[in-house]
Amino acid sequence: MDHIYKHRKKLIYFGILPALLLYLAFVIIPILISARYSLVEWNGFSAPKFVGLNNYADLFKNSIFWRSLKNNLIVVFASVLGQVPIGFLLALLVNQKIKGQHFFRTIIFMPVVISAVIISLVWSMVFNYNFGLLNNLLKFVGLGSFIQNWLSNPDIAMFSVAAVIIWQFVGLYFIIFLAALQTVPNDVLEAAEIDGAQGWKRTLYITLPLVKDTILAAIVLCISGSLKTFALIYVMTNGGPSHATEVMAIHMYDNSFNAMKFGYGSAVSIFIVIFGIVLVTIVRQLFARFED
Amino acid sequence: MNSKLNLNKLKKFLSYFILVFFALINLYPIFWMVMNSFKTEQQISINSFSLPSSLMLSNYFKAWHAVSLGRSFLNSFIVSGLAVIITVALGSLAAYFISRFEFTGKKIIYSLFIFGLLVPIHGTLVPIFIMMRKLGLVNTRLSLILPYVAFNLPLTIFILSSFMKSLPRAVEEAAIVDGAGYLRIFWSIILPMTRPALATVSILNFVYNWNEFSFALVLINDQKLMTLPLSLSLFSGQFSTDYGMQMAGLSMALVPIIAIYLLMEDQLVKGMSAGAVKG
Amino acid sequence: MNNIKNNFIIMMIFALIVVCSGAVLAEDTVELKMWHAWTGQDAFAKEVLLPKIEEFQKNNPNIKLKIQVIPNDNYRTKLRTQAAGGQIPDIMQTYPGSEVQPLVEAGMLMPLDDIINYWTDDLIAKETLKAYTFNNKVYAIPAKVNYTHFAFYNKDMLQEAGYDKWPATYQEFKKMADKLKENDIVPISLGNKAKWVLQSVYFSTIADRVAGADFLDKVLAGEKKFTDPEFIKALNIIKELADNDYFNKDANSLNDMEMRQAFYQKRAAIFFGGAWDIGGVIENAKEQNMNVGIATFPSIVGAKSPQALSGVTGSAFSIRAGLSEAQQAAAFKFLKFFYSEETYTDLLRTGSFVPAQVPLPDDISPQFQSVINLVNEHQIAPVYDAVLPLDLIQIINNGLQSLTAGQMTAEELAQQMQDNL
Repeated sequence: MDHIYKHRKKLIYFGILPALLLYLAFVIIPILISARYSLVEWNGFSAPKFVGLNNYADLFKNSIFWRSLKNNLIVVFASVLGQVPIGFLLALLVNQKIKGQHFFRTIIFMPVVISAVIISLVWSMVFNYNFGLLNNLLKFVGLGSFIQNWLSNPDIAMFSVAAVIIWQFVGLYFIIFLAALQTVPNDVLEAAEIDGAQGWKRTLYITLPLVKDTILAAIVLCISGSLKTFALIYVMTNGGPSHATEVMAIHMYDNSFNAMKFGYGSAVSIFIVIFGIVLVTIVRQLFARFED
Repeated sequence: MNSKLNLNKLKKFLSYFILVFFALINLYPIFWMVMNSFKTEQQISINSFSLPSSLMLSNYFKAWHAVSLGRSFLNSFIVSGLAVIITVALGSLAAYFISRFEFTGKKIIYSLFIFGLLVPIHGTLVPIFIMMRKLGLVNTRLSLILPYVAFNLPLTIFILSSFMKSLPRAVEEAAIVDGAGYLRIFWSIILPMTRPALATVSILNFVYNWNEFSFALVLINDQKLMTLPLSLSLFSGQFSTDYGMQMAGLSMALVPIIAIYLLMEDQLVKGMSAGAVKG
Repeated sequence: MNNIKNNFIIMMIFALIVVCSGAVLAEDTVELKMWHAWTGQDAFAKEVLLPKIEEFQKNNPNIKLKIQVIPNDNYRTKLRTQAAGGQIPDIMQTYPGSEVQPLVEAGMLMPLDDIINYWTDDLIAKETLKAYTFNNKVYAIPAKVNYTHFAFYNKDMLQEAGYDKWPATYQEFKKMADKLKENDIVPISLGNKAKWVLQSVYFSTIADRVAGADFLDKVLAGEKKFTDPEFIKALNIIKELADNDYFNKDANSLNDMEMRQAFYQKRAAIFFGGAWDIGGVIENAKEQNMNVGIATFPSIVGAKSPQALSGVTGSAFSIRAGLSEAQQAAAFKFLKFFYSEETYTDLLRTGSFVPAQVPLPDDISPQFQSVINLVNEHQIAPVYDAVLPLDLIQIINNGLQSLTAGQMTAEELAQQMQDNL
């Protein structure tokens, strides 16, 4: 089949070129410039001083950086294991013939668009030690011993924040899966509808392979999004207490714009990109092997 | 038969249970925000849980005028809207060729685009500012549209091409036999079939652009060109925040985005049945 | 939708006016780009500084100020990014000490030598401008003095615990706090999510008192060290407040609004805040029928500067280097008008402290008068984040969180600070 296309090379490149040029100009070139900054010592005002790989050496020596990497990995795992399956499940549920479909489709997506300021304020109140919803609920159901200082305890704070991140972005994967499910022929889903619970299982078995490309895409998006995660944590905990929720993007921002170490900050940016490439490549390889 | 029916009922019940549970959690923040937008500053500072004593709209009027929200709405519409249109147009075309054709360099180009998913925005603020300054674009809407398009292209191409890859080739083949050109196939076969994914990426693009703060902060120096997130940030002073106005402003900012979502979401689920082929 | 249409029409008309008037006025108007962070929520900005800017524009139609307001939290990011790109506005708000220093060192700001006498002759003491003075040249004029340390306490709650007066000594304070705890009241409400609160509001005053008001200067000059016992003693006071559970348990994850809310809802008896809190506290206390007292940290045994009170000058404007002559003249004119005796008097009326020696107006509120009396019993001492280098500010802000969360000892933090000096 593909051979028919081959002689139309010019057209192909012509179709891709506009997107590619814009992308090269405003994403690739800036990050390359940033890579150059990562080799200098620069406070943004003075003349940059070339220091070779010193910024990277500082990076790897900095225990706070390693902590931010660890925190970032928590977000990555929580997101991949939380957002993708929950998003998929919700898409399956809403894709059935149920009442209020429209309402559910909208409301599930809502957290994605609510301002981080609001999300942070509301969840801080849920997590509040003294009068927060969560601790009160635990007390109410007799699980008083599980009461925690959800955001102030450095050992727990990262998990609390990760939970909010899962919640906030489930909607994103939900609509991606919802779109993918539209390509699944209706009779497959309808058959499941009639067969009840057993069909439910069958839906899963028939549907999953049909949307496997989308699942891979969702996982890749999830990893890349989680590695860049910034806004919600920044307003919710400001990376604290005691660096407990500091992720790499916050580490980079603090160093670049608060401590004004642009060289070091750029080194963190470049690390995020390289680390991301490695992770994404691994995932894609795993998928490819799985397919064979 | 009976047990099957019961199972079916149970399944339905469980579905509703989960969905209603999510709906409640998701509604609360919005409810809380709107509730506080009706309160005075003092009422909020004393208790932000309480119900408002009346449906006081003054925060809305004050917020609207204090930071010229009307103007920012317009700016945000122009910038976000144009960026979405350009991104989806260029992105879908690129995704079409990447997903349905074989050509040299395809893998490299595709990987290059995926690479863009990983670039942290804050790491590019200074370089992009310097570039825009050299191009003489600082303080123009274009200075926002260009990075918005560029930064959203990877996601757009990624989602669209993974979607297009899974489309059956049969219709296309028939069209080729009929002598249709590739752009024609793209326009009248691929695009309609991709409708759900197009709707998805349009929503995501719009959400990102509508809420984007950092580029707008750095690249816009004129109050008249400020986008919504910038204007909404003006409710915070150094030592005090006008939460009432902030909540009112944020509530208003949510309306268009919900409207866009509702509009697009219809397309999202119409998808295949409304497209060129029926499943 | 109608609004959008209307706005569009208004914008078109507006654009037309701008274009036309621009053509007419172009010849002898001077344009100055101005950035500031006064969004208009804080009383001093709303009632004095912003009206002053407006008044200046009205009086000087030939000087056109193109103003951009950027909220405080994002102001630095924007200024630093654009400065890194080699572009800054003509007149801009700058922050004291280590924040403005790099701009000065890069030669981006103009020293105010030519007009500095206007202030230093008899309005502002030269010493007061220290945070903006580098190599004996002054680069900005401040409008305010922000004292960063006051204790606001609920008199009724203290009374219930058996204290009809603010405790005089730290020992007594601790006894009182224990008593409050027994009554199931959180002694001190703290919201340190933003990280600067413990450093700016608590630690600056406590450290200045314990280690001496000149300690910080001596450390920066290499004559003393952060690892010296007096500094560690100051750190340990913060640690003790946390270890004794005098703060609410979630202190490091609350913001300042939540911190004050706990106080107004009578869940906590005390909160520490800055001069910026005074107005709000007085107002809310009246509304709630609360008996609120204002004090400073009780005296500590062995303190070297027992009367130190941390404060820093702020709301300052600097001028870009390299302005044209006409622009420079216009900018000077603005500064003289903006930082006039009248401005300082007006600021006093809104309950702000000022760096200038102006007579107290007769009509200031009795509450503010009593705070002024309180301040007069003290001597101003540096706020740490206005003096420390930028990366050390990060270290101490995070370090105080770690200290109170039990993740670090005072000695470790002191060592880390010394190592990064």
